[in-house]
Amino acid sequence: MSEVRLAAEQRTEFGKGAARRTRRAGKIPAVLYGHGSDPKHLALPALEFARVVREHGQNAVLTLDIESSTELALTKTVTTHPIKNYIEHVDLLLVQRGEKVTVEVPLVLTGEAAAATLLTQDLTTILVEADALSIPEQVEFSIAGLEAGTQVHASDLVLPAGTTLATDGDAMVLAINAAPTAAEVAGDTGEATEAEASEEG
Amino acid sequence: MLIPRRVKHRKQHHPGRSGAAKGGTRVTFGEFGIQALEPAYVTNRQIESARIAITRHIRRGGKVWINIFPDRPLTKKPAETRMGSGKGSPEWWVANVKPGRVLFEMSFPNEAVAREALRRAIHKLPMKCRIVTREGGEF
Repeated sequence: MSEVRLAAEQRTEFGKGAARRTRRAGKIPAVLYGHGSDPKHLALPALEFARVVREHGQNAVLTLDIESSTELALTKTVTTHPIKNYIEHVDLLLVQRGEKVTVEVPLVLTGEAAAATLLTQDLTTILVEADALSIPEQVEFSIAGLEAGTQVHASDLVLPAGTTLATDGDAMVLAINAAPTAAEVAGDTGEATEAEASEEG
Repeated sequence: MLIPRRVKHRKQHHPGRSGAAKGGTRVTFGEFGIQALEPAYVTNRQIESARIAITRHIRRGGKVWINIFPDRPLTKKPAETRMGSGKGSPEWWVANVKPGRVLFEMSFPNEAVAREALRRAIHKLPMKCRIVTREGGEF
C-alpha cells in the first residue's frame, strides 16, 4: 500500500460548534493517538482525505505534516454521516516504520461457483497482521467451480507474503450451498401469504 | 408476521421520531440494502409485504435479511368513542425507524434483479427510501 502525504493543522478549539466550523471550512476534525502519547487534535483537508480513502481504502498509511513535525498514521475509524455520506470525523493511529499492525482487509471473491449453487459469504473482511507500510489492499479468493457443500474457512485463504492471519483460522468465510428449488421458493412465499390471510380472518 | 413473543408493557407511549439512526446505517450482511431517508413507524404488515415483494421477484438464488423488528405497540381507541376511560387497545406493532437506518439487506448475483426487487419493496414502505450497497457511496 502506498504512503500518502497530507498536510494537517493542529486544532485549538474543541466541541460541537468548533467541529462544525472546521467542517464548514472544508476540513475534517481528526484525532491522532497511539504509543502512549498525548492525543493530538487535527484538521485534515476534506477533499484530499476523501480521495485517499476512495483510492487507497481505509487502511491507507498517511504521512501527516503537522506544522513542523511529521507523523506516520494509520486510519483507524472513519465516521461518516448516515445519510449525506460525508466524512464527519477520523481517528488516526500513530504507527512506526517496521511496526506490525492488525487491520481488517477486504476479501474479494473472483470467479463464479458451479451452477445451481447459492453462495453465503459470512466474512467480507479478514483480520490480518501486517507491516504497517505493506498492508495488502485486498485478499483475493477464487470460488470458480466450487461445488455445493463446500465450506471455506479463514485458514484456507492465501494471504500475501509478510501477512499473517489474525482472526481464528476456523472462522467460516463462505459456504456454497445448493440453490433452493422453485418449489421451495414458492412454498416459502406461499406460507407467508397464508399466515397473512389467517391474520386478517 | 413479526410480533414480539412477550412484552413488559402491553400499552406504551408513542416512540420518539426525532433524530437520525444511531446505528445500523451500513449494509453489513448482504450486498444491497434499503435505507430509510425519513422517520416512520413501519408496521409488521409493511415489513412482511416488502419481504414478500423481494422474495417473489428474486425467486431463487438470493438471500434476504430483515434488520428491523416491530417491537413497539401502538394503540387505537374504537370509533365513535368519547374521550377518556383509559388508553385504547393495541392495534399495530411497529418498528420505530429513523433516517439512515438500513431496513432490508439482500445478496443476489445479478445487481439489476436485486435493485428491481428492492425497488418493489420500497413501494410497500411508508417513507422515502433509497437503495444502498455495501461499498457505500462516494465521499
